[in-house]
Amino acid sequence: MQPTHSEESAALFSGYDVAAYDEMFGTENSVRNHYAPLYDRLNNLGPAEIERRHKVADLTMRNQGITFTVYGRDQGVERIIPFDPIPRLISSQEWDRIDRGLKQRVRALNLFIRDVYHNRSILKDRIIPAELIFGASGYRRDCVGLRVPKDIYVHVSGIDLIRDASGEYLVLEDNCRTPSGVSYVLKNRQVMKQIFPFLFEEYNVRPVDDYTDILLSVLRNIAPDGCDDPSVVVLTPGMYNSAYYEHSFLARQMGVDLVEGRDLVYDRGQIFRRTTRGLQRVDVIYRRLDDDFLDPLAFRPDSILGVAGLMGAYRAGNVGLANSLGTGVADDKGIYPFLPDVIKYYLGEVPILNNVETFRPLIPSHRQHILQNLESLVVKAVDASGGYGMLIGPSSTKAQREEFRRKIEDNPRAYIAQPTIQLSRHPTFVEGRLDGRHVDLRPFVLYGEEIFVLPGGLTRVALPKGSLVVNSSQGGGTKDTWVLHDSADHRRASGRPTAGGRA
Amino acid sequence: MLSRVAESLYWMGRYIERAENVARLLDIGLFMELDADVGLDEGLGPVEIALTILACRDAFPMEVGPPSREAVLRFLTFDRSNSQSILSMIARARENARGTQEAIGVDVWSEVNRLYLFLGGTRAQKRFVREPSSLFNYIKNSCLLIDGMIQNTLPRDEVFHFLELGRHLERIDVLCRILRAKCPGLSKPINGEDSPMHLVHWTSLLRSCSAHGPFLRSERERVEAEGVIRFLVLDSDFPRSIRYGAARCHESLEAISGGDEEAYGCEAERILGRLESDLRYLDVAEIFDRGLLQFLDSLQISCHRVSDEIQRSFFLM
Repeated sequence: MQPTHSEESAALFSGYDVAAYDEMFGTENSVRNHYAPLYDRLNNLGPAEIERRHKVADLTMRNQGITFTVYGRDQGVERIIPFDPIPRLISSQEWDRIDRGLKQRVRALNLFIRDVYHNRSILKDRIIPAELIFGASGYRRDCVGLRVPKDIYVHVSGIDLIRDASGEYLVLEDNCRTPSGVSYVLKNRQVMKQIFPFLFEEYNVRPVDDYTDILLSVLRNIAPDGCDDPSVVVLTPGMYNSAYYEHSFLARQMGVDLVEGRDLVYDRGQIFRRTTRGLQRVDVIYRRLDDDFLDPLAFRPDSILGVAGLMGAYRAGNVGLANSLGTGVADDKGIYPFLPDVIKYYLGEVPILNNVETFRPLIPSHRQHILQNLESLVVKAVDASGGYGMLIGPSSTKAQREEFRRKIEDNPRAYIAQPTIQLSRHPTFVEGRLDGRHVDLRPFVLYGEEIFVLPGGLTRVALPKGSLVVNSSQGGGTKDTWVLHDSADHRRASGRPTAGGRA
Repeated sequence: MLSRVAESLYWMGRYIERAENVARLLDIGLFMELDADVGLDEGLGPVEIALTILACRDAFPMEVGPPSREAVLRFLTFDRSNSQSILSMIARARENARGTQEAIGVDVWSEVNRLYLFLGGTRAQKRFVREPSSLFNYIKNSCLLIDGMIQNTLPRDEVFHFLELGRHLERIDVLCRILRAKCPGLSKPINGEDSPMHLVHWTSLLRSCSAHGPFLRSERERVEAEGVIRFLVLDSDFPRSIRYGAARCHESLEAISGGDEEAYGCEAERILGRLESDLRYLDVAEIFDRGLLQFLDSLQISCHRVSDEIQRSFFLM
């Protein structure tokens, strides 16, 4: 049956071309089951109405200061992250696999980090070359032999997933240090409820609101022994950090103090915060500060963001840190290619979520392949993030490729290369109509008494047409991600044909 | 509460109060200038007096010639290089609010942020050109809305009391400055001179403190020196009087330091307590005997000492 459309609604999807893996449209040019109600609703609303609601969303975010700081010419300009009002839907079967895959991966990552700093059996068994571990920028010698509370290292992780042309979810990156973005997950949801309340009636969307409750319990879980009512703080580098909004949001939602390094002081083995009534003890620190800046006595002496003596208190077991120190060794891009082996090694299981195929210049055959195919590969520096230090083959200049060729030959262990994957695309509201834009997904995983995966995550959108770069520092936007309950998935019986004007 | 947060809250309270006062001052000044050419023979126009009140006369770029009314208004409203402009103060209030979002909550923070974004944007500029008075009223109302949210959404804990402390201390300070600059014939002894010019001045003084209506209702007397000063300095019920502000400061300080009835928790509390009881038993005739100017000077010195002591006791831990 052909759905009927007003002229205006036909305009919404006019010229929409289905390429790569499209999240809303199936290969046979039909709307995927779970997207059908959304598709209809959007068509009924029409472009003008979506535009109006989109503006309301932007204004809300601007007024609430839901911003990030862009570094550059000025000392930093606050911007709102572009918000796309078209939600991304994930069916419950799809999510089930993601959920299991992430739990498996995080469990393995933790066992791996513990092993690296203690027995090192994975090195002794020659699964991973030792020099890769010791050469990783996130490796901390200070952690060798250091026991951390409950043996949990990565309490909060944000693991980036993408979908390839066949629709398979692949892990692109493990973020095990201080992954950010969860505040946008929660805020995007609030804003969506404000602008599209009726859509929620049509779908059975799993809530994300309890994230901060669970985060707080995860943090309390690592309080020093014998501490009944631990005092928890969120440690931020300060107001000029690009993720400051998030730090403040999380502290507010958990009802704990947001502190800067200068608010804390070390005294006789313990950490205290400076209050109007004198020094008060701190038991757990959710730090949103990189290892290097935590303690000027232990690491970078020029850091004014940290707390002198913090490492001493941590070593003595007098303060819990989330994430633990030294977790960067696990999300190093040089280690990433070994993650499937890591999972098999510690858990004896087949990885549920696969890696993106990755070439390592250290292996001669790989190196040859990389150097011969620079035009079609993405080359990444193993110790960079945020979309920096990358070569995107297909859109690179000859000079850039030559530069990377030299870099790879000079220092093969500092790079990896992956085929350019056409990330899946999702209808995105651009200039009054919907157009396909590449997306990825960063779900958040909490590790406390058990492992919890927040049903949803941050969907990042590469807004410039054709772009594959979704980082907010590179012009990416975000959209709300809805994980559906079973019942809603089957509310519509079958896929239906799309508007005739689209093809 | 974290010392840093307490300090930010205190200053946020001060900046918002100051911005609100400047907006009111400029609005009334403008109103007067548009209204009458009486009484403007004493050199400074009512708008220009604001430069004196805010101690930023030296910062005003005089080289461009004698300040036009519009230039002064602009300088005091939008000039980012002038630390006393409304925009500068709201910007600082906003920085403080941004650093204390987890304490003040989304509503208060959003409103401060919204006011800041508005003032920095083109809409405020347009309004300034078209109808400046409505812009000043907008600012004043927005500041009052922020205060309304503070009064009605925050529990009476340290967060609230540090905001209150800043607000009321600033209120006293600004009123002292306004009185110093605006009391007609302050340097000469005030006698029963009763020209229409004086009436305009006293009335505008009351208006710059939103006190005209309340004064008329409470005093049921003519608008002249003694009554006006008594009302603005010593009235116990008018929320913008000095006595009222001192009482609120004292209350908030007691709440912060734990409120031991028999003793004072810090030096600031002692100074304030003394000031408050002074104001309670003072007679307006005594103020004039001492000299209004001297009286206002000593009041301001007390305010500054209180601020320094608060700094020492709570923020520099």
